[in-house]
Amino acid sequence: MCRVLAEHPAHNKVLNKLELLKCLPPYHHHHHRSWGWALLALILIPFFPGTELPSPPSVWFEAEFFHHILHWMPIQNQSESTYYEVELLSYGMELWKSISSCSQTLVPCCDLTMVTLDLYHNNGYRAKVRAVDGRKHSNWTITRTRFSIDEVNLTVGSVKLEVHSGLILGEIQPPRPKMAPEGDTYESIFPHFREYEIAIRKVPGHNKLTKKVKHENFSFPTPGEVGEFCVQVKPSVSSRINKGIWSEEACIVVSRQYFTMTNLSIFFAFVLLLCGVLALLALQLYVRRRGILPSVLVFEKPSPFNLIGQLPSPETQDTIHPIDEEAFSKVSLELRNSELHGSTDSGFGSAKPSLQTEEPQFLLPDPHPEAERTLGKGASLDLDNSCSGGSSNSTDSGICLQEPNLSLGMVPSWEQQVKSNSQGQDDSGIGLVQNSEGQPGDVQDGSAPGQVSPLGPEVTKKEDPAVVTFQGYLKQTRSTEEKAAKESCLEEESSSTDGFGPPIRMCLDAEEAWPPPVLAKGYLKQDPPEVTVAPSWAPAGQWNHPMEEWSLLGLPSCGDLGTSNWSFAHGLAPLDCVVAPGSLLGSVDSNLVTMPLIATLHSNE
Amino acid sequence: MKAQRVSLWLLGTVLFLCSVHSRGFRRCLISMDMRHVEESFQDIKRAIQAKDTFQNVTILSTSETLHKIKPLDVCCVTKNLLAFYVDRVFKDHQEPDPQILRKISSIANSFLYMQKVLQQCQEQRLCPCRQEATNTTRIIHDNYHQLEVRSAAVKSLGELDVFLAWVDKNHQGTPTA
Repeated sequence: MCRVLAEHPAHNKVLNKLELLKCLPPYHHHHHRSWGWALLALILIPFFPGTELPSPPSVWFEAEFFHHILHWMPIQNQSESTYYEVELLSYGMELWKSISSCSQTLVPCCDLTMVTLDLYHNNGYRAKVRAVDGRKHSNWTITRTRFSIDEVNLTVGSVKLEVHSGLILGEIQPPRPKMAPEGDTYESIFPHFREYEIAIRKVPGHNKLTKKVKHENFSFPTPGEVGEFCVQVKPSVSSRINKGIWSEEACIVVSRQYFTMTNLSIFFAFVLLLCGVLALLALQLYVRRRGILPSVLVFEKPSPFNLIGQLPSPETQDTIHPIDEEAFSKVSLELRNSELHGSTDSGFGSAKPSLQTEEPQFLLPDPHPEAERTLGKGASLDLDNSCSGGSSNSTDSGICLQEPNLSLGMVPSWEQQVKSNSQGQDDSGIGLVQNSEGQPGDVQDGSAPGQVSPLGPEVTKKEDPAVVTFQGYLKQTRSTEEKAAKESCLEEESSSTDGFGPPIRMCLDAEEAWPPPVLAKGYLKQDPPEVTVAPSWAPAGQWNHPMEEWSLLGLPSCGDLGTSNWSFAHGLAPLDCVVAPGSLLGSVDSNLVTMPLIATLHSNE
Repeated sequence: MKAQRVSLWLLGTVLFLCSVHSRGFRRCLISMDMRHVEESFQDIKRAIQAKDTFQNVTILSTSETLHKIKPLDVCCVTKNLLAFYVDRVFKDHQEPDPQILRKISSIANSFLYMQKVLQQCQEQRLCPCRQEATNTTRIIHDNYHQLEVRSAAVKSLGELDVFLAWVDKNHQGTPTA
């Protein structure tokens, strides 16, 4: 290419043919015509001896964006002293302007950018060149065409490539020549319709894939391909006829990427999910562990064998044991002050530990706090539920609630008893049995209405007239002879309480008529004489009576329950209304079912 | 109610102004692709311009004429110049080369089409001719007459690229592509 003479003046003096040829661009298309002129000149020279120097055969401009080079063909037989003069005319102006920087040079080209800066705004230029040798000079050779913006060949400055997740992203930089005046940028001179043709090939092949884009940014998808890709760009302006020149190849290597953003994001999401799952599991384990009951409160589940084994012999009579007055008063006081009195909750399951420790002689079922809840929630009859389950403290003298369905079974009998009581006892439900004498019969309804005896039903006294008067719940008392049995029984109970909750507690003492408490110990509603003993801890033989009674009374239907003035704690309604004795575990179990429900029943006054 | 009336009145005023504005500044533009005309000229440019020997003279005198034309006068000047070329230049030029003649003919046909478009604008009174436009046209005519007819015709043909560039610049329908 023709170098700017002003920058390299020293090189202009020594030239050879090779350098002269360098000034000719590879796409020079004036060749055939310039050769024609040269031939003509050769032919004419003999006919015109002494003519001045031959003029350069042709003169032309070759221009890129702000890079305007004037080229001419050197004359034949030029000597070392031959140089060329260049003059420039702005089209429409009258005067030619001499360009001295191009003169006195043997190089057949000259950079006229600095003097043709207005090319993109005016109508063009005309240039002329003549050869000078000493005093001789040739004729001027003018450029055939007016040098205008249409003759500027479009190029790109550079192409930047980068690979991003399977895509080759390219950015085309327009040319930024240093000689361009401020404000004359490629984008400002060609503001619209700029287009670029992109040719991409994969090394080492030669097949090119072309694509035309209308912006300086482009992208090429390379799905899964790996290797080196080379890109060439040719600019153009669709509204103009300017020619474009292909840029040099810009290559980039595409390698397999494992650590792409997509892969990394998926990996981190998976890690987060795993951590969340582990945290949930840990939380669950922690909650479970917290939810385990302390061993003190865990009762052993009663097994059927225990139950049967503790059943009294059928011939045992249902005896009413006198209540221990002292202990009873203590308990009663405490119970009165307890939060369970008069409460409308589902029962009196959560007996205080003080009760357990202070009144061990009371044949009380183990207090089971869960029984209260289960009662309230309408737990179904299950030997294993409520007052059972887990190992219970043998010294527990607490209170255990009967199952709701058991209580359900008890409802009609109690109700019946209440109604049949002609003594005017204003039985308001569960009452605290007062027995100052400690006699089994001395049971009176001295309890306040709605007073809930935390103690479960005890064995009613048998055939004791004093007992008949009792309308509430009688705390079971024993005779002296029975006390021993009771004590022994207690001992036995203490040993047998494990795994068998308060529902059924029986002593195997043949002498004693301590019927096994089914569910709750404590207070047993006394039956009127005409009515058989309340279906509490009646012996097996006597248990048929309650059953018969029930048959007479008729198990209440579900509808009767609604009319019953017994207000159950929540949860009883959904229970199975019809409790068929036969559906339970044998006759024994049916009798167990008949055990009175205590504490959860409140009569509606 | 008052607010509604005021808003309606304002809306009406705005619409009226917009219509006036659009009518006033509505230009008659030749929405034609000049590219093929430019290409045709490029093919004969070398031959035509080579014949132009009077390089220090210009007929169109863009610095004095075309560059000073205001947008309102563009339509009138374009119309006048198209008529100048069709009626004077193409008729005065005698082209021996048939290939060049063919190209010149295609250019002339394009000019005829452009003239028709501007004629419609003139009928709609969208192409007023003011004094400035008339003066510019007169200067160009005077320049043309100062030269010998053939030289003037050749020179005018050689300056077609100037004229086409000026038309392309002033008759852009939309500001951006």
